[in-house]
Amino acid sequence: MITQLEVSGIPVVLSPTTGPMHAGLVFRVGRVDEPLARRGITHLLEHLALHAFGVADYHYNGATGDEFTYFHMQGAETDIVAFLNGVSAALTDLPMHRLTTEKEILRTEASTRGDNPTEGLALWRHGARDYGVGTYPEWGLSGITPDDLRAWVARYFTAENAALWIAGPAVPAGLDLRLPHGERRPAPAPSSALPVRPAYFPGPPKRVAWDAVVDRSVSAGVFTGVLKRALFRSLRQEGGLSYAVQTDYSPRSDGRAVITAIADALPEKQGAVLGGFIDVLAALRLGLVEQADVTAEVNHRVEELTHAEEDGSRLPGLAFNLLIGRPVQSAEELVAELRAVTRDEVAAVAAAAFADGLLMTPGRNTADWAGYAQAPQDSASIVEGTKYASLEDPEVSFVAGDRGVSLVQEDSAATVFYDECSVLLVWPDGARRFIGHDGMVVHFEPTLFPNGHAVVPAIDARVPRGLWAAMPARDLERIPKPSPAAVPAAGASGGGGGKAWPIVVLVALAPVLLFFGGLGLIMGAVAFEDDIDVATEVTISVVFLTFALLAGWGVVWAIRRLRRG
Amino acid sequence: MLRAMSQPSDVVFDPAVPYPGLTALRAALTGRDWAGARAVLDSVTPADRTSLIRTCGDEKDLEDFLRYVLRGDPRDGAAAALLGFHLIDLGWEIRTAAWAKDVTEEQWAGFREHLRKAELVLIDASAYNPGDPAVWTSRLLSARGLSLGIAEIRRRYDRLSTAVPHHLPGQMELSYSLEPKWSGTWEELHTFARDAALAALPGSPHGLLVSEAFFSRYGAADDDAERARLLHDPRLRADLDQAAQHSVLHPRFNREYGWVRAASSYAALFSLQGDQQKAARMFELLGNLATVDPWGHSEEDAAPKIRQARAWAFGGAR
Repeated sequence: MITQLEVSGIPVVLSPTTGPMHAGLVFRVGRVDEPLARRGITHLLEHLALHAFGVADYHYNGATGDEFTYFHMQGAETDIVAFLNGVSAALTDLPMHRLTTEKEILRTEASTRGDNPTEGLALWRHGARDYGVGTYPEWGLSGITPDDLRAWVARYFTAENAALWIAGPAVPAGLDLRLPHGERRPAPAPSSALPVRPAYFPGPPKRVAWDAVVDRSVSAGVFTGVLKRALFRSLRQEGGLSYAVQTDYSPRSDGRAVITAIADALPEKQGAVLGGFIDVLAALRLGLVEQADVTAEVNHRVEELTHAEEDGSRLPGLAFNLLIGRPVQSAEELVAELRAVTRDEVAAVAAAAFADGLLMTPGRNTADWAGYAQAPQDSASIVEGTKYASLEDPEVSFVAGDRGVSLVQEDSAATVFYDECSVLLVWPDGARRFIGHDGMVVHFEPTLFPNGHAVVPAIDARVPRGLWAAMPARDLERIPKPSPAAVPAAGASGGGGGKAWPIVVLVALAPVLLFFGGLGLIMGAVAFEDDIDVATEVTISVVFLTFALLAGWGVVWAIRRLRRG
Repeated sequence: MLRAMSQPSDVVFDPAVPYPGLTALRAALTGRDWAGARAVLDSVTPADRTSLIRTCGDEKDLEDFLRYVLRGDPRDGAAAALLGFHLIDLGWEIRTAAWAKDVTEEQWAGFREHLRKAELVLIDASAYNPGDPAVWTSRLLSARGLSLGIAEIRRRYDRLSTAVPHHLPGQMELSYSLEPKWSGTWEELHTFARDAALAALPGSPHGLLVSEAFFSRYGAADDDAERARLLHDPRLRADLDQAAQHSVLHPRFNREYGWVRAASSYAALFSLQGDQQKAARMFELLGNLATVDPWGHSEEDAAPKIRQARAWAFGGAR
């Protein structure tokens, strides 16, 4: 039986449990709220808030999700009280002395974390804002200041933006959550980087993944299970093509839900896994839903729900619901809704999901043949501005204009407009990477363009500081250098090249070479012929020969350049 | 005398002669009589049905008619398979049979667009009718044209053979895909053809798979030396013999779909091997029936070769 209460102005869901007591404090904030240039700020706050508990042997944790961030603990009542009170206290008075260390810990955590196999879907669906931000690294960490953190707490970690769940007999005595006051912060509206759906994009090899956004409903949850059963049957049992098949149903705070499916594929079976996957989705879209699958899935979910009700694991989800203004349903209500789900309802979800689908194909496989539009890989336009040809590849050029930047190759272009820029990554050596709201990337390496370093300040000036994210210094060998063979071709098209310059060098330096070279040799010879002022003569000889050597190097460069031109 | 020998009636390529359903089906389609078409298709074996559907894909202007039929009954696998073959045929008309390098950009685009349209029809059709061999056979063809790769082609073939084992029209499609110019190797093609031929019931025409695989390779050989080597390769020879004994030379050789092409293919093979007696047996089976493959590129090209081989087999000079 679930009870709704209020503690220190914070709404609470409470339910007795068969297991040990546990409780959690959740805030309506997560990665979707982070600007890309501050990516990681919520996670950093979560770490700072938990720092005080670092040495205690408690069953506690924190988690930063897309829409919610929470702190939870399981144990004795007094420990839970100490934990929740401690987290609230830490949020109001952040241990800023830990800032540098916690940033380092987060970097280490990021480097050890494996790839999320489905994150490409969110990136291609939403681009580099809100629901796509979580797919990027925590680029904001280095630039986050104590003031940024305090502002983030003031905006999101407030009593009005929090909810509490308690699996136990009652609200524990001594609970004292002194959170600052603020207001409820709804999640941002999801952006779209997909003009046409269903769509596909080529992903990494060895897996096929798909997602769709549908209305949040009990039948959509059942569909997710039915989809898994159908994929499993087709790809694993019948075809032996995949080993692992997974689906996921994640409700979103805007009343929609994301359904995700993924199947792995042996390298030589990628095309078949894709084909089988497409066929399964097509059959469900046509309403060919097995009643047995629906029944099995409903029973499975009812059983899960019963367990969750007993051990209190429904409570976090209910606390999330409180924060987004959804009703708190009893388990009995949910069971009744589940039991009422029909095959036709599941089929209707399947049709809606198919229409919104985004398919990640393995490697270079396409899916246009199956009715999926190719998701935009290029920008539709190129900015007007100054064009710089690459020193390395004559087919590549960088354009810097008043409105944005473009990187142009033979038949494709990536453009980021300054007013649609999510982040500018800034390397100390001058490299810059612009990422647009749509996820388009324009990477500029100044060493690969004529006068590249002179361009950097001009483009920097166009992007507000708030969008910058500082990148760590790179090793010298990681800074690209144009390969020498490519220099002349690029020079010819880059201005400042051509034959004039080598000719000037040749005319100027050839006499220098002859003059200093000749004199240097004479002085050297003289030095060894007599005994007078040998040291002076040798010094003059060496200095002259050094001049000659430099001139000779210039002459050789000019001759080579003229020959190639 | 020479004139009399040249009468077309002594070499009959028309598939409607051995397969009379074809004439009835063409008539029904011309009259836009789908019930009539279905009556023909529903009365024959699965292999005959697929073959009839495939052969009629080249009928003119079927698209609107078949889409109308499918709107009425989206689950009609025969209509979907015929529309699939029809669209694929239209695509090939645009692409032409020229070498890939000689096909223009516009031709490729038109080809691909038609195959895509076919595939969209067929995806739904195979969902509605996962056991329809004609649908899977046309999906084997579209997969090849769309370059979906051998893994996907194998998956489709597995779905087909699960539904209907030993489906010769589908096995022929997989064979083409196993040629090196598409997605396979001669070794894979030969292995598949031999295994499929020997797995079929004794006396069935599936021996055709082995002889066709041989002729594909023989026709693609660089020079006479290579052709001679292939002709005398002991392993190929043994497999061809074994497949022939299991098929066209079997006492219960069955005149089901593919039998004319099987007998014609082995007639060509035995003539090439100089086995007069076996060649004669094939020509006896065939009577005046014939197929262009593997004799030539066209009826005009094949007919004189067939006459000459037949005359030799029946005791004449080479």
